Amino acid sequence: MTRFIRYVSRHPGAMVGLTLLALQIASILFAPWLTFYSPEEADPLMSLQPPSAAHWFGTDVSGMDIYTRIVYATRINLLISIVAVAFAFVVGVPIGLLIGFYRNWMSALVMRVFDFIQSFPVFVLGMALVSVMGQEIWNVAIVLAVLFIPMFARLIRAEVLSLRERPYVSAARCSGATDGSIMFRHILPNALTPAIVQVSISIGLAILLTAGLSFVGAGVRMPTPEWGLMVSTGAQQMILGVWWVALFPGLAIVISVLSFALLGDMVKDLSDPTTRERL
Amino acid sequence: MTVAVANLGVYWRAIPRPLRIITSRLLMLVPQMFGVMMVTFLLVRMLPGDPALLLLGNMATPDTIAAFREKLGLNLSLWEQFVHYVGNALHGDLGVSIFTSNPVVTDLLERAPATLELITYAMLLTILIGVTLAIISVVRAGGVVDIGSRVYGLAAGAIPDFWVGLLLIYFFFYILGWAPAPFGRIDTFVSPPDTVTGFYTIDSLIAGDLNAFVSSLGRLTLPVLTLAIVNAGALMKMTKTTFADIYRSDFIRHARASGLSEGTIRRIALRNSLPPIITLVGFMFGFLLGAAVLVETIFAWGGLGQYAVQSVVNSDYPALQGFVLVAAAFILIVYTVVDILYELADPRIRV
Repeated sequence: MTRFIRYVSRHPGAMVGLTLLALQIASILFAPWLTFYSPEEADPLMSLQPPSAAHWFGTDVSGMDIYTRIVYATRINLLISIVAVAFAFVVGVPIGLLIGFYRNWMSALVMRVFDFIQSFPVFVLGMALVSVMGQEIWNVAIVLAVLFIPMFARLIRAEVLSLRERPYVSAARCSGATDGSIMFRHILPNALTPAIVQVSISIGLAILLTAGLSFVGAGVRMPTPEWGLMVSTGAQQMILGVWWVALFPGLAIVISVLSFALLGDMVKDLSDPTTRERL
Repeated sequence: MTVAVANLGVYWRAIPRPLRIITSRLLMLVPQMFGVMMVTFLLVRMLPGDPALLLLGNMATPDTIAAFREKLGLNLSLWEQFVHYVGNALHGDLGVSIFTSNPVVTDLLERAPATLELITYAMLLTILIGVTLAIISVVRAGGVVDIGSRVYGLAAGAIPDFWVGLLLIYFFFYILGWAPAPFGRIDTFVSPPDTVTGFYTIDSLIAGDLNAFVSSLGRLTLPVLTLAIVNAGALMKMTKTTFADIYRSDFIRHARASGLSEGTIRRIALRNSLPPIITLVGFMFGFLLGAAVLVETIFAWGGLGQYAVQSVVNSDYPALQGFVLVAAAFILIVYTVVDILYELADPRIRV
């Protein structure tokens, strides 16, 4: 813990990342207390009001308060992204472990399938899948999870390939350990680090993809507050000089993705024994 | 049997190396394309409901649906249906778009040049920005460019491209009035040049139509800038890593000790970091195709990306299916070319 505090105090990036994360957690937990309007209630009389004391970030075309919607959207955006990445992690890690440990035709086949999935442009495949499955929040999460599984499986597999040749694995085998216990008790804990670092980065990527999907109309639908969707409602107005509808939700995306990128750097440094010694 | 195989090996070795590289890589393309078609086929079969109804749209009469079921072979087994689909696709039949009621192939061919022009220029600008920044920040480590590019690299990965596009429109079109309106590839009052390559900038030069050239170039500026700003960050970061490793390696130190000029040393280092950069550039092409979907929507570009978005919005599944197939095929071909170039560039790779 002291090491963690010392690290954060010496790395402004980590400090910023943690602060922004705290901000997002606060938005998720205390949204009703932090805002003054309903996130999904239109008020036609207040359409396209510029930022003011009453509406900090202005209102959109149907008169909904943009600040309120941004705060509430944190729930949707982070929920989708975290669920998707958690699912991809839980499924991808065991697959990676198995295909790294057992080197047979099944493993080779799984790898080819992963190569293949990853050769599609992520956004195009995501868009097609969500539109085919139906534009529900859960479907967006499922599609992102499926697209992320190969990434986690690959990271774990690469680690397992080198770890399975280590003497301590032979030692475990000599003392009669089963394949299962070698994999899960001896190899897995040592193979997890790159995948854990990837979690944070993937959450950021998932936020960007979710926003992009909603922006083109292949994701979350109105009136649900979602950052990408909010930017898209402001897109037409941007040409007419109405900047606030698209600007603020876009900033929210940038801040959120940035915080997870910074946290990813922090996790990477903290889990790397060579940086630990320098502290 | 073993003798025959050994003989085959001898014949194989007798083929010149470049030809060997190209043949083996092209042969791999066949199963890959097969896989792509399987995915696009299953994509529509995954839909709940009758594929015939979905592919024809809600306006179809029971008779046409029955006839179409017959044509698709929906009464056959899944495997036979797939063979059917592959057969049609190989004959250039990807079905008819519900929304435009044109054959999907016609629609796609009509729109492909717009997208290709956009991503080609975006790619060039991305490479220019990314590689230049990477080289300067390695050569002048700790300098202003180095620190600035670090911040840029972090930010570029977090900025949504569609949002950057909108901000550029606001500043350069609405506030400053420098950029043309974000409505397509060429001014409404300027007629597009005769099609030779499909690239408006090149065709207008061939036709000697300076007006059309300036107009299409102006229209390209903001979307290309959008794509480059967002994507150059990633290219820069990865080029920086590769280039820094080589720039600090023993053979560069040796070159410096031998008294070669800094300019020559940089050139040698850059040439040695080219193979990984080539691979990256290939990946970027695929990435840009995905990003173009978003950027085209903002600039009403009328290319493949906008067509794809339209097909999603209108539940136009034949069009969507066709787009995914063509996009994946395009990427596979780019990757194949990249692999071939990579192996040709590095004589140490055994083929």
